[in-house]
Amino acid sequence: MKFILMRAAITCLCLSWAWCLSVVTAMAAPDAQASTTWIKLTTKQYQQSIRDIFGSSIVVTGRFEPDHRDQGLLAVGASRAGVSDAGLEMYDGLARNISGQIVSERNRTTLIPCSPKKTNVSDDACAKRVIADAGRLLFRRALTKDEVQLQVDIARNVTKATGDFYDGLAAALSNLLISPDFLFRFQRLEADRSHPGKYRLDGYSKAANLSFFLWNSTPDDQLLAAAERGELHTAAGLQRQVDRLLSSPNLETGVRAFFLDMLGFDKFETLSKDANFFPRFTVKVKEEAQEQTLRTIVDHLLVRQGDYRELLTTPQTFLTASLAALYGLPLADLTDNGQPDRWYPYRYADDDPRVGLLAQASFVALHSPSGRTSPTDRGKALREVLLCQTVPPPPANVEFQSLEDISNPKFKTTRDRLTAHRSDAVCAGCHRITDPIGLALENFDSSGGFRTTENGAAIDTSGDIRGKKFDKPRELYTVLSTEPSLTSCVAKRAYGFGTGRMPPEKDEHWAAILERFKSSNYNMVALLEAIATSDLFYSPPEKLLQAAASKE
Amino acid sequence: MNKFKLTRRGVLRGMMAGGACTVGLPLLDCLLDGNGLAYADGSPIPPRLVTWFWGLGIGEGAWIPKTSGKDYELPRQFKMLQPLKHKFNLFSGGQVFLEGGSNTTHFTGVQGLMTGKVSSAASDYTRSLDTIIGDHISGSTRFRSIEIACDGNPTACWSARETGRQPAEVSPVALYARLFGAEFKDPNAAEFTPDPAIVMRRSVLSAVSEQRLRIMKSVPADDKARLDSYFTSLRALEQRLEIQMKKPEPLEACTVPSAPQGDEAEPSTLAVDAMARHELFGELVAHALACGQTRVVNMCITQGMSGLRREGDPTSHHTYTHEEPIDPQLGYQVNCAWFQDLYLNALLQFATKLDSIKEGDQTLLDRIVLFAYTDHGAPRLHSVLDYPVLIFGNGGGRFKTGLHIAGRGDPVTRVGFTLQQAMGVPAGDWGSGANRVTAPYLEAMV
Amino acid sequence: MRRVAHLNTASGHRVRNLDMRMVVSITAIAIANGLLIQPAVAAETRGYVINWFATATHSTANKENCPEDRNGGQAEFQIRNLMAVGFTKEEATAKVFAKGGQEVALEDKALSERIRMRGRSKGKPASIYNYPDTVEDPNLETVTGKYAYGFDLGGKPENKFIDIDTGRKIDNQLWRAVGCTFSFNAVPPARPYPEDLGWEAMLNSSPAWLIRVSGEDLNRNGKVTVILDRATRHPRRDALSNVMSGATYVIEPDSRSHNVLQGEIRDGVLTVFPGDIYLEAELPFYTEISLRKGQMRLKLERDGRLVGYMGGIQDWRRWVYSFTARPNNNADTIGIFHALRKMADFDPDPVTGENRAISATYRMEAVPAYLVEENGAVVANAVTTLGPASSVAPGGQPRSESIASLKTDD
Repeated sequence: MKFILMRAAITCLCLSWAWCLSVVTAMAAPDAQASTTWIKLTTKQYQQSIRDIFGSSIVVTGRFEPDHRDQGLLAVGASRAGVSDAGLEMYDGLARNISGQIVSERNRTTLIPCSPKKTNVSDDACAKRVIADAGRLLFRRALTKDEVQLQVDIARNVTKATGDFYDGLAAALSNLLISPDFLFRFQRLEADRSHPGKYRLDGYSKAANLSFFLWNSTPDDQLLAAAERGELHTAAGLQRQVDRLLSSPNLETGVRAFFLDMLGFDKFETLSKDANFFPRFTVKVKEEAQEQTLRTIVDHLLVRQGDYRELLTTPQTFLTASLAALYGLPLADLTDNGQPDRWYPYRYADDDPRVGLLAQASFVALHSPSGRTSPTDRGKALREVLLCQTVPPPPANVEFQSLEDISNPKFKTTRDRLTAHRSDAVCAGCHRITDPIGLALENFDSSGGFRTTENGAAIDTSGDIRGKKFDKPRELYTVLSTEPSLTSCVAKRAYGFGTGRMPPEKDEHWAAILERFKSSNYNMVALLEAIATSDLFYSPPEKLLQAAASKE
Repeated sequence: MNKFKLTRRGVLRGMMAGGACTVGLPLLDCLLDGNGLAYADGSPIPPRLVTWFWGLGIGEGAWIPKTSGKDYELPRQFKMLQPLKHKFNLFSGGQVFLEGGSNTTHFTGVQGLMTGKVSSAASDYTRSLDTIIGDHISGSTRFRSIEIACDGNPTACWSARETGRQPAEVSPVALYARLFGAEFKDPNAAEFTPDPAIVMRRSVLSAVSEQRLRIMKSVPADDKARLDSYFTSLRALEQRLEIQMKKPEPLEACTVPSAPQGDEAEPSTLAVDAMARHELFGELVAHALACGQTRVVNMCITQGMSGLRREGDPTSHHTYTHEEPIDPQLGYQVNCAWFQDLYLNALLQFATKLDSIKEGDQTLLDRIVLFAYTDHGAPRLHSVLDYPVLIFGNGGGRFKTGLHIAGRGDPVTRVGFTLQQAMGVPAGDWGSGANRVTAPYLEAMV
Repeated sequence: MRRVAHLNTASGHRVRNLDMRMVVSITAIAIANGLLIQPAVAAETRGYVINWFATATHSTANKENCPEDRNGGQAEFQIRNLMAVGFTKEEATAKVFAKGGQEVALEDKALSERIRMRGRSKGKPASIYNYPDTVEDPNLETVTGKYAYGFDLGGKPENKFIDIDTGRKIDNQLWRAVGCTFSFNAVPPARPYPEDLGWEAMLNSSPAWLIRVSGEDLNRNGKVTVILDRATRHPRRDALSNVMSGATYVIEPDSRSHNVLQGEIRDGVLTVFPGDIYLEAELPFYTEISLRKGQMRLKLERDGRLVGYMGGIQDWRRWVYSFTARPNNNADTIGIFHALRKMADFDPDPVTGENRAISATYRMEAVPAYLVEENGAVVANAVTTLGPASSVAPGGQPRSESIASLKTDD
């Protein structure tokens, strides 16, 4: 049976059972094949590309137009995004700032491969070399002769006006950085020589998709060279590059970026907790909570090559002294007085309620209002974020009184209040399915702190999901880790992260990817490899093919 | 000769009434388009910023309103601002994180609030909030910014650039001369030469926009609109540069006032003197803003360690904060409250003056942003917790107003960051260490 | 990969092996919800970090304490300073008034030097802050009221106050000496101004002071052992900038500040019996808290805090050094020096007969903390209420209901 989705949030949902079903059915329709002719770089991809192309001496400072989430991912939203006036002004500011840094006296000797004969006059040969080299990495393809010449002309004209070669070079670089060829990943078609009459993505497009998928960054020189040699169109050539990317330390960057996107950590930017209630939830803890989860993921999935499902139950994590205090644990920080806190590996007892990702503040605090918990919010988040289910919004005109009346001595715990709320038959249907997950996580307060009582009453964390009973958080994690949608969800999201669109549900290639993931015991690297070597991953968007066909 | 002394309010009023202040306000409506939000040629009226500093916080006791959002009740400490409640936001609960350093009183807190970082070295105080915003909005005005101190201390002002804190004007007479003296040029007669750097940027950008045809050709019809948004935005950027290359709209409303007679202001520690001076400065600031002389003004009604006192009383406000017990019945320091009330009354008068000046169908207060801040939370302990910050005006539609926004332990830098974002500063974060913020108070932004 | 670096931090292993039973016992306590309804369990140790420390004031009774009200504040002590270097009272007053009571000599270096160098040493001018005994005693008013906080240290009957909490006769000549100066006018949670500045600075930089309380069952009446220590790091602050409850501290090994004391818990009050107490500190706070016959009386609060007093007999010159070392901190340094000298009530110098020590009491608070040894062994538990559970009323302030107000069965 397909998982029925539900809506939650302590802000209630009074939906009839039948209504709930109808909505879910409607929303469970297969994702329409998204057309993607170009994908805007996300903020992280822009930053990572600049870092990888120009090195860490170039600091990307400045604001970006916010990324939008679609189908659970910013990376999918990026394939639908345009550019606003304000956004372009930001790109312009970034471009001028970055190009200024590149040609600055501090950086020019290391970043610019040639020097002009005289700094106060133009030097076309040197300008050409810089523009062609940087342009290839920025545009993820070789520039045409005309494109290079256009920027060389600009560099020469500006140098003439200001009397400084580097002003001219900065103007040209700035133009490359604000160009759509840098800001958008174009998906280009070419005739498929091995299948006459058919089209395929060109090698450069494939290289960029692969690199942003595994490294969240622009293709390096080797990958571009492989694309130029046509190697990405052969199974062996592609496999060589996939192997190389998967064994690179940059894979950690890519995996972090993927989970940062999938787990919705961008929401941390606007997360705040009432410090009067949650004094341990400091600004530092807010940052460390995200880092804890990313470290746990990298350690479990990449270092230990563990089973993805065990992320929900792994006793292994990393803590700082501040996080330990939040979770109510002793942790000896042996750092000297006055020095920054350190990270320590930490292992819980196997049955500790705090094991696994769901117990981490990056989940329980991120999906809680600032003052108290919302089991409904947490249940909804879990289903949407980790199981790829969609939850319909609550209807209007709901009676909230029993939910908000936190002074009523009859209702000490959130469970009490939700139970009262569910006495309304209209609400009961959906809440019965949403709330058990959230209620089982009630041992974690709104900030992620561990607790066993609420307003003096013991917290009951028992419940059941589709007949599978559990008594405490640890048992919930086990039940959830057996959900088939847990593993198919991460696979879908990984594919979406790489392509900017969701995979087709009924497709033999997709089925093969899922099978490879399963047979690897849900090894994340195996999943990434399966996707990165699949024909599906490189198949051109349908609309692009139609556009090509209509031109013929 | 009628010697001018800036010691009493009455004298000052007399000076201003003597014709010194005949600057016509505001911008003539005829220069504005129908709803007054833009110049007749369609370019938007630039945002303007006034910062307003008072020393020593707002007092012990519960000044944080019980509810946040629109329908909150102003606490005793701010009750006098009720007439303008719909025109400002009250930010509470923000704090400066010391990051293991010590609280250098009257410095560290403001440093955190105004520069986003804390450090015990005074030389580390650089690039304050107003200059960050000013660099973005100040455009081609005559003065990048104007700094003013009402208590006679030229170092009282918190505005800083890379070179350190900027000295403040302490004399209204001197400021008057600076603004409307010999160097003042009637905008109607001003000569205009376009900035060559702007001209160059404009021409360089055309190389990007010229690619439009090439790229659009290859995009399927469905996605043309999406890609076109990029080129439309690029065109908007080019247009903004073009506007800067043209002679600005004339400001016919501004007339050159005659110079007042008088001396420079003497330092004074009497609170009434400072308040009178503040009123006079306020008048000049209103004119300077309306006449486009500057888009950034920094006013300090006291220095952090306010030495202001009542006539006949040797004890300054600052000394009272340390020595005066908290009244057990009232829950606050009674004498300190007297000073706080005095300052906030001055703020109210200033804001009311700005609100009385019409610009289109709004007022000058609506059009600008008036950012009022202080150096400490609870004054007695000189704490860096629970900072009160007020933001008046909507910056010409950039802010929502009438709200209490409860920070609840947020870094107070979040308020300054919100201001930056609302004013269009292109930054994704502000501050360092624990005082670094990445999220503005979206509820306050339009 | 990154993990290698983590594993190099070997200490983490020790902690994680040791913490589990602690977690279990904390859980048990929390489930029972409250400190009182615990069944008898094995001996336990609770840890704390001191988060608030200052002279125990009684400033709500200023009228009774200081009926003459003649000490004045900063303005008056500056006027006294100016008069001491030759200004008439009128001149001095006008000068100070013109500055709004702020420090007059701040910009006038010469005047500042004249005020400072009016002391004598070997016949030559010397700093009054180095030789405060060579300048005239401004004769500050001292406390004449009946009540104060403190402990019976065996002092003379004529010096006795009555303790406000216990009603017992007690010695606290430190309070008598400073209680009528404006800078010590403070009602908790406010601290006297000079101590407030010093303590706040110390919290940000100096290693924390730790308390360990061990006993059969800390929820019942009985004997306890109390160990005071210093940590390796300064206290950790929370989102409200208070000292965080429930954080972990490593006990400084071989500490000079290691004190083992005996005591008892009775009806929710922890009493520590007299013994020597030495806690190392740093300027701008005191350089140390060093007490003979040191003792403590602390209430066990419902939210896990300890709140109460620490008192004993201390060297008054070492105490006053904190003021002479950084003069003009809104305190009449010279006046306080002389007041302490006169009020000193213990340890007469065999030669001069002048008392070298003074009875003193500090108010203090401590919040729950885990205490661990350098090898990672957890030696004390933080017994605290985490998050907005029973100790906090929704939407309200934390309740500070003392468990002393609740019934216990012996």
